[in-house]
Amino acid sequence: MLEALLLTLSTTTLPNGLEVSVLSDPSMPVVATQLWYRVGAADETPGSRGLAHLFEHLMFGATSAYPKGEYSRFVTSAGGDDNAFTSADETVYVAAVPPAALAGVISREGDRMRNLTLDEAGLENEKKIVIEELRLRTENDPMSRLLVAAQRALLGDHPYALDASGSKEDVARASLASCRAFYDAHYRPNHAHLVVVGPVEPEGALALARDAFGAIPPGGVDPPEIPPLLDWTYPERIDLEEDIPPVEIALQGMPLPPADAEDAAAVELLRELLTGGSLDPFREIVVTRDRKALEAGIEWIGLKRGGGIIFYAASLPYRKRATALRSIDRALTSLDDLAWLSDSSLAAAKKRLRAEALDARYYAERMASRIGEARWHRGDPALALSWSDRLDEVTRDEVAAAWRRYVRDGRRVRAYVKPERVPLVIRMFGWLYPLFS
Amino acid sequence: MALPALLLSAAAIAWPVDPATDAVLFEDHRAPIVTVVIELPAGSWSPWFVRHDVETAFTFQDDDAGRTIRKRIDASGVTLDLEVGRRSSSVTFTALRDDVEEAMAIVRTILANRDYDPRELTRARRERKILWRQTATDVGFQLSQTAARELFAEDDPRRRAWERPPDVERDRVALAAARDALFRLPRRLIGFAGDVRRADAERWTAELLPPAGGLPPDLAPALRPVRPASERARERDLPIRKLTQVYLAYVRDSIPWDDPMRPAFLVADHVLGGHFYSRLVVALRHEGGETYGAGTRDDGDVAAGIYRISTFTRAANASHIEEKMRETIRVFREGGISEEERAQAVSALSGRRAFADQSPVQLLARYRVERRAGLPAGALDAAIDRAAALPLSDVNAFIRDYYDPAAFSMLRAVPR
Repeated sequence: MLEALLLTLSTTTLPNGLEVSVLSDPSMPVVATQLWYRVGAADETPGSRGLAHLFEHLMFGATSAYPKGEYSRFVTSAGGDDNAFTSADETVYVAAVPPAALAGVISREGDRMRNLTLDEAGLENEKKIVIEELRLRTENDPMSRLLVAAQRALLGDHPYALDASGSKEDVARASLASCRAFYDAHYRPNHAHLVVVGPVEPEGALALARDAFGAIPPGGVDPPEIPPLLDWTYPERIDLEEDIPPVEIALQGMPLPPADAEDAAAVELLRELLTGGSLDPFREIVVTRDRKALEAGIEWIGLKRGGGIIFYAASLPYRKRATALRSIDRALTSLDDLAWLSDSSLAAAKKRLRAEALDARYYAERMASRIGEARWHRGDPALALSWSDRLDEVTRDEVAAAWRRYVRDGRRVRAYVKPERVPLVIRMFGWLYPLFS
Repeated sequence: MALPALLLSAAAIAWPVDPATDAVLFEDHRAPIVTVVIELPAGSWSPWFVRHDVETAFTFQDDDAGRTIRKRIDASGVTLDLEVGRRSSSVTFTALRDDVEEAMAIVRTILANRDYDPRELTRARRERKILWRQTATDVGFQLSQTAARELFAEDDPRRRAWERPPDVERDRVALAAARDALFRLPRRLIGFAGDVRRADAERWTAELLPPAGGLPPDLAPALRPVRPASERARERDLPIRKLTQVYLAYVRDSIPWDDPMRPAFLVADHVLGGHFYSRLVVALRHEGGETYGAGTRDDGDVAAGIYRISTFTRAANASHIEEKMRETIRVFREGGISEEERAQAVSALSGRRAFADQSPVQLLARYRVERRAGLPAGALDAAIDRAAALPLSDVNAFIRDYYDPAAFSMLRAVPR
């Protein structure tokens, strides 16, 4: 394959434990770097929810070598972009620049891994910013409020229960001492993976990494293992109410295995077969065949230690809750015939995923994300390139087994969402809708 | 580095398929995938398009009552997208190289489909009405709607995206006729990007589209002059339920892409709100922690659109941040930018070009944008070159003129 000739992925572990993956593709016009720290919101302890995210903000502050903002100014002036994100499982610092700026980016990443100068004024400023972000993401949009409430009600004390942006109270309570402790515990080379993708010589990029990070000593602590979602105990049903349009939403969800599970490839194909095509087999039953909902579909959540598959059906608010939930049961029973899983549909799903993977190869940033995620979630950065081949080996029987294990026989959690306000005309005449549709 | 050069061809290869249809190819053999776009020259801004509900005709054309087309799409491994834009509508598919032949056959089947699914149309009609209610709590939507109403006349298509949509057309014969008419419009484009050679592309384009027809008299968007600043409200509050923050949008009409002032705007806008250490972000976020986000946005093209300077903060801090925002803009306007800021802006704008050259699909997208806007190929990059050549005094003269507070309206989404 021609694409194989172009791509060379090499991964090296420096003596201090930093893993460095370099994907060399001379045809790319830009170079992307990502530094994956193995700490995320799920690693926080009660009372410090939001610390990982707050610390991500602080990493854009001053270091002993550079004033605050110098990194971003350097990247922007080169025409590039830099940013960061905190998820449940990791905190990732990303940059994409024209190749000439690569050395400057790597040296600055190395600098802020250990030389951050934290001070009270900077911390108080970032706390205010983070709380504004938290309000934006979790308070001021009905769907966000709904998702945050559902996540908490569903997951209880599980580390994945809170949104990564944390809680306003905990963020406000964060101290310089707690931030320094967090920095010392987690921002260490042995807890990080540097990914470089672009028109670079692997040895040259590795030498830049050695110069920037090589002298930083290992240390810190490993966060405790996050319990797999598959083994968690869930409530049987949750009920929620929000300021949404006048529809009621019935949902059923089942937990999924960790990203590095033995059957992860079969689970991914299960997702693609159910949600990746132009026809959603669940929607076809609930909406088109049974006409039991105005809209229906499947949502898929994937995290390092597990995920969830959620079947939802939205109806006008005249249907009984039990009826709406039963319509999902009936649809799932229908899907048990596995008519949606044929040799040809499986082959087509594999093609779509292969095309998606091939398309990602044009973009340095997307490839860097894939490599970082493959390493941290699946244990091997090389899977970013070989995952399509792994998917090709999955058989129809393996996908059927994944359906049976996680959906048919999976632990079901039911949820029901009602609108806070329903216009009188819909409350009175909504039941007529099926007669005229 | 010789191998990639053999595999890439950044230049467009264009040829006429027939007098009404152009084809263009961005050849790239790095990966065995192909994207094909069929672009038709009418979108949601066209009065003709709206009058015939071509949007429904176009986006539901792959939804036959028996779902045979979608089943075929899913069995092929091809991904297909039907998109309606402001000035165009496009069919886009991506396939592994070996499946392009089948994808082309699917497109022909879609174009021949007249069996629109009546149940899906009825469902979509109901869904559209319900979703409209959701806009009442959507901050971005409410601000955009108010900005568009301030800037554009009632019948101007630039308001349409934020007004209550008409009912979904359910007459299947009318829908098929509207769709057919759309595909017969002259100035069609078939674009190829990826692992394809011209000979194959030429073979695939032959007889793909129906013979061209005439142009409806009301095809072109009827854009009205932007309302003069003197006729716009200076400020408006939009109460929204359950907000804990206030969202500010300081709006006026944008500078069109082909305006001689566009290069100066590019530099000025970058310095004011175009990056993480722009004037606005420094003043409102980094210095005082007033907000998480501040910046600028321009949704125009060769026609003026909405230019907005935005931020948000907790409700109790709203008047304070508004004062700081106005002060930042006042200082920007009166003092202009420095030579260092100009040089950094030019460097950033120039360096950013590489990000739009990563894939053949990006090259095709830019070609389509320029063609759609009636601009010569390369016009968007040329504007950056002109921006780079501008002396500081020209940029500052533009800033003094454009950022005049008398030209702006302050819109606030506030807690009800």
